Amino acid sequence: MTADATTGPPLPPAHAFLRGAGLVLRRELAAWFGGAIAYVVLVVSLLAVGSLFVHEFFAAGKLDMAPFFDRLPLVLVLLAPAISMRSWSEDRKQRTFELWMTLPLEPAQIVLGKYAASLCLYAVFLAGTLPLPLMLFALGRPDPGPITAGYAGAALLGALFLAIGQLFSSLTGDQIVAFLASSFTCAFLVATGEARVVDGLDGLAPAVAPGSLLADWVAATPRYEAFARGLLTASGCVYFVGLSALLLAWNSAAVSGRRT
Amino acid sequence: MIRAQNVTRRFGDSLAVHSVTFSIGPGEIVGLLGANGAGKTTLLRMLATYLPPDEGRLLVCGHDAAREPYWVLRKIGYLSEHNALFDSMRVDDFLDFIARVRGLEGTLSAGRRAFVLDRCGLADVLAKRVRECSKGFRQRIGLAAAILHDPPVLLLDEPTHGLDPLQVAAFRDLLRELRPGHAILLSSHVLAEVAAVATRMLVMHDARIVLDEPTKSLEVRAQAAGRSVEDLVLDAVRAGGAPEVQPALEEARAP
Repeated sequence: MTADATTGPPLPPAHAFLRGAGLVLRRELAAWFGGAIAYVVLVVSLLAVGSLFVHEFFAAGKLDMAPFFDRLPLVLVLLAPAISMRSWSEDRKQRTFELWMTLPLEPAQIVLGKYAASLCLYAVFLAGTLPLPLMLFALGRPDPGPITAGYAGAALLGALFLAIGQLFSSLTGDQIVAFLASSFTCAFLVATGEARVVDGLDGLAPAVAPGSLLADWVAATPRYEAFARGLLTASGCVYFVGLSALLLAWNSAAVSGRRT
Repeated sequence: MIRAQNVTRRFGDSLAVHSVTFSIGPGEIVGLLGANGAGKTTLLRMLATYLPPDEGRLLVCGHDAAREPYWVLRKIGYLSEHNALFDSMRVDDFLDFIARVRGLEGTLSAGRRAFVLDRCGLADVLAKRVRECSKGFRQRIGLAAAILHDPPVLLLDEPTHGLDPLQVAAFRDLLRELRPGHAILLSSHVLAEVAAVATRMLVMHDARIVLDEPTKSLEVRAQAAGRSVEDLVLDAVRAGGAPEVQPALEEARAP
C-alpha cells in the first residue's frame, strides 16, 4: 500500500466502520453480562420502578402509564450513570485503554460500540418494564398512543443520559467521580424543566427569566413530557438525538486527546 | 519498515525522547536497550501511535504514525509494557476478538490461530478467563495477540517479562522464526536478553540513542579489544549520558 503522507489513505469505509463498532459492542456486552453488576443494576432498577408504578397506579386508579413515565427521569438520573460510569473509567483502571487505542479501530468506533452496548443494557431495562403496560391491557383498554410515545421518549431520554455518562467516564479515571458528575448533569437537565424550579429561577431575575430560558433551551423534561403525553415531536427528537450525537463526538475527541 | 526522524517527546519539562533517528528494515531484530526511564517505552508507544511525537516524524511501512494512526495500527503488532488484557474474557474469545478486529476471517483466521496457539503454548488455557491465567501465560497471550495477524512490524516492550527460562528460549526461537520479512523492535533493560536474539542494538540513555550497531559488529569489536559487549555498551552510555543513570545500567548487566 502506498502512503500519501500529506492526506493519508481514506478512513475505513462505512461498513468497515460499523463492523468495528459492532465488534466493540459484542465485547462490551460480553463484559457486562459476564459479571453480576449488570444483573444487579437491572433488577434493582426494575424493582424500584415497578414498585413506584404499582403504588401510584392503585392510588390513582387510572388506566394509564403516567405514574411510570413521570417517575422515570428520576430513576434514570441514577440508572444511566450507573450503566455508563465504567465504560471508560474501567479501562483506565485496568490499563486496557492503551490496548483499545492500539487496535486498528478509530476512537469513534470504540465510542459508538461502547455506547451501543449501554443502549442495549438500557433496552433490556425498558423491556423489563413491559409487564406494566401488559397489565393495563389485561385490565382494560388504555390509550396505546401515549404509551407508545412515552416509551419512545423514555428511550430518547435514556440515550441522552447514557451519552452524558459515557462522556464523563472518558473524562475521569474514577468511576465514582464519573457517576456523580453524570448524575448531577442529568439531574440538572431534569430539574430545569420542573415548573417549581423554573418559577423559582424566574423570580430571582424577572427581567431575564433565567428559569424559562433554561426550560426552553436546555431542559430535557419539557421535551420528554411531550412524548409522555403522546406527542411525538420533531423538535424533541432533534433535541435528544442531536445532543446525544454531540456528546458522543465530544467523547470521541476526549478519548483521542487522552492518548497524549 | 520503521523510520524515526529526529523524534522528540516531552512530558512537561522532562525530555523522554530527544532527537532520535534510526531506521529498521525487514529481517532485522533490533534490541532497544536502556535503563529504566531511558525512553524505551515512550519511543515504542509513539511507534504504536499511542503517543504523538512533539517533534520529528515516525514512519511505519510508509505511514506517518501521528497522521495516519489507523493505517499504522493495521501494520503493527504491539505488546505493551503493562500488557493489559481484557481480564473478563476467556482466552479463546479474546484471541477471536483480536482476530476479528484485525480483519482475520475463515481459514486464514483458523490457520493463524493454530500457529500462535502452538508457538505461544496456549492450548491449555484457552477455556480459562484471562484473569485466571498466571503472569507468564498473560505475557504469552499478549504476544499471541500481537503476532496473530502476522504484522510486518512487531513492537515488543519487555516481552520476556514474567517468562520462565524455557519460555524465554521458546520466545527467542519464535523471534528467529518470524525474522524473515519482518521488522522486529524489542525493548529490554537486560543486555544479555537482547544480545541473545537481536541482530542489531539500539542503546538509549537519558532520552537519546547513544549506540546503534549490529550485534555481530559489537561482538567483533569487543573481541578485538579483549573486552565484553557489555563493556562497550557501558562505554557508549558513559560517553553519551549523564553519570547518575550508569549504576542502573550496570545493574542490568546481570542476565
